[in-house]
Parts: sequence; C-alpha cells; structure tokens
Amino acid sequence: MNNVDRSLEKINYIKLLVYLFVFIFITLLLILILIVPNIKKYRLARGEYNQALVHKTRVQAVLNERDKELKKLKSDNWKIFNAYKHKFSNKEFSSFAKQFFDKVSLKEIKQISYKKEFKIYELNVTSSLKTPVKFYQFLDGLNRYDNMVQADFPIDLKSNGKLIYSSFEIKVYNLIQKKK
Amino acid sequence: MVSYSFIKPRKKPLISAFSKIWILFISFVSLLLILFGLFLLFKIYSYKKDTVTITNERVALEKKINEKDDYMEYLLRQKSLGEEIFTRNTLLKDSMKNLFDLVPDKITLNRVIIKKDSLIIYGKTPTKDTFNFLLSAPLKSIFSTSNTIFYLTQNGWYNFVSTNKITSTDGFSE
Repeated sequence: MNNVDRSLEKINYIKLLVYLFVFIFITLLLILILIVPNIKKYRLARGEYNQALVHKTRVQAVLNERDKELKKLKSDNWKIFNAYKHKFSNKEFSSFAKQFFDKVSLKEIKQISYKKEFKIYELNVTSSLKTPVKFYQFLDGLNRYDNMVQADFPIDLKSNGKLIYSSFEIKVYNLIQKKK
Repeated sequence: MVSYSFIKPRKKPLISAFSKIWILFISFVSLLLILFGLFLLFKIYSYKKDTVTITNERVALEKKINEKDDYMEYLLRQKSLGEEIFTRNTLLKDSMKNLFDLVPDKITLNRVIIKKDSLIIYGKTPTKDTFNFLLSAPLKSIFSTSNTIFYLTQNGWYNFVSTNKITSTDGFSE
C-alpha cells in the first residue's frame, strides 16, 4: 500500500535541509518574539516580587520588635499606667493618708490641663502627725499609691509641742483621653 | 475506460510521510514554545499581582508600626512623667529628712514653711551663737541668702525666724 510513498526510504536531502531551516527559523522566531522578551519580563517581575517580599519581611520583623518592646514597656510599668487611669477618690486617699497621719482633710484647689493628655487635680491636705518620720513614710507611700500623686510645695509644718500640724499640696495626675 | 497499467491506480498522498513528520515535529515544538511563552506570561501576571498584594500588606504594616510608635511615645510620656513624680516625692522626702537632721537637739523648731525656692524656720535657741554655729552655717551653705531675726524671750532664750532663699532655677531640693 505504502510502496508509492518512498519519502522515508529515500530521503530527499534538499527537502531535509529546507525543513531543517524552516524548523530553525520558526523556532528561533518564536524564541525571539515570545520567549526572550517574556523571560526578561519574568525575571524583572520575579525580582520585584522577591524585593517586595524581603521588604515586607523586614517591616514585619520591625513590627514584631515593636510589639515585643510595647509588651515589655507595659509589663514593666503597668503600675504607672494603671495609676493614671485609676479614678481619684477623696475618701480612698484620706483612708490611705490616715495610715500615717492622725487627722486628714482634703480640699480641692483647682483643676488644670497639662500636656493635653493629663488632667491634674490640685488638693490641699491638712493633717496632724506625731513625728516627722510619719511624713517621710507618707511620701514613700505616695509612690506606691493607686493614683499618680505628687506631694508639692508649699509645705507648712507647725508644732504645738505634742503634735505637728501639716499643710501641703498634692497634685493628682489622670489621663484625659483614652487610647487603645 | 481503457486501463494502460497492470496495477490499480492508488491515491498519491498530497503530503509525504517525511513532510508530515517534519510538520508535526515543527508544530509540536512551536506549540511547546507557545505554551512555554504563555506559562511565562501567566507567571509574570501572577508575580505582578502578588507584588501588589505584598506591597499593600507592607504599607499596612508600616502604618501599624507608625501607630505603635505613636502609642509607645504616648506610654513613654506617661512613664517619664510617672518617674518624675516618684523622683520628686523621694527628693522631697530626702530634703525634709536632711533639713530635720540639720537641726541640733539644743534648737527647737516651732514652724517650718518650705516653698519651691525658700525655707522659713521659726524656732527657739538657747543662745544666738548656738543657732549661728549649729544651724545658720549649714543653711548658709545651702541657700543663696539667709537672714535670721532673734527675739529675746522672758526665760532668756531666743525665738528666731530664719528666712532662706535659693535663686537657682532648681528650687529647694537640698
């Protein structure tokens, strides 16, 4: 049946050469038109992607670092941060001060703003105590109190022989605005 | 129709087997190259899309970092104010302790007024010299100006009012 088509048995070298050239031509053409420019674009896109990935990884590492620092800052100073948020109560403070003084009375002087975030209550404290040591203990105790309280001038200490009457100012710092 | 051949006529193929193989081979290689080109195009598109996504994610992370930085600054302001308050309380305690330690047993204090930049002491001393040597000298070393007024009492002691001032901006902290 196939004895008519002898093209495979008797190869025409001219034809072979022509096909070979056609093959090389088409292949080269496709490579030059389709592959080479796209390979360049592909490399460029891959490079940009890798760069973006590295950049993002670095930023992520910085964020993780910040989170760690923030967590540490919060855990190291939780008492300070809580003290700003704790609502100041005259009653609570009086009972705290009574641990050191015999009589305590509080009088609010004025309320002012400070650095936008903090509001400061100024109060005058009058008290009586037996020995100045109690005053030192009170000042030490202020640093452990639930609120952020600063004892301030003027301090007036008057002695009648048995008791010392004291009058001094305290400043209570509270946070105004709440952030996350 | 009269036949002039001993064999039956057979159809001659339009394209020889040799050509078919070549055409198939060239088509196959071309198809492979086109597929590879399409694959590259797809990868380029995919990379570009991922790059945009990653860049957006990075921008979001940077925004988060800025927010965290602001929050951290806010907390650090609280911390530094807190520490300042603690230091001031401790300093006040130390100042008062130092002041009372300065006063010798022979001198009795009736009243002490401590202000930011001044100290007024009311008290009793057996002699002026006792006050001048034992209390006035250390006070003068601390304060910029120190004035004392003495009042003789009926029992021969002296009541005194000592006014001491500091001119430096730090105020009273010794």
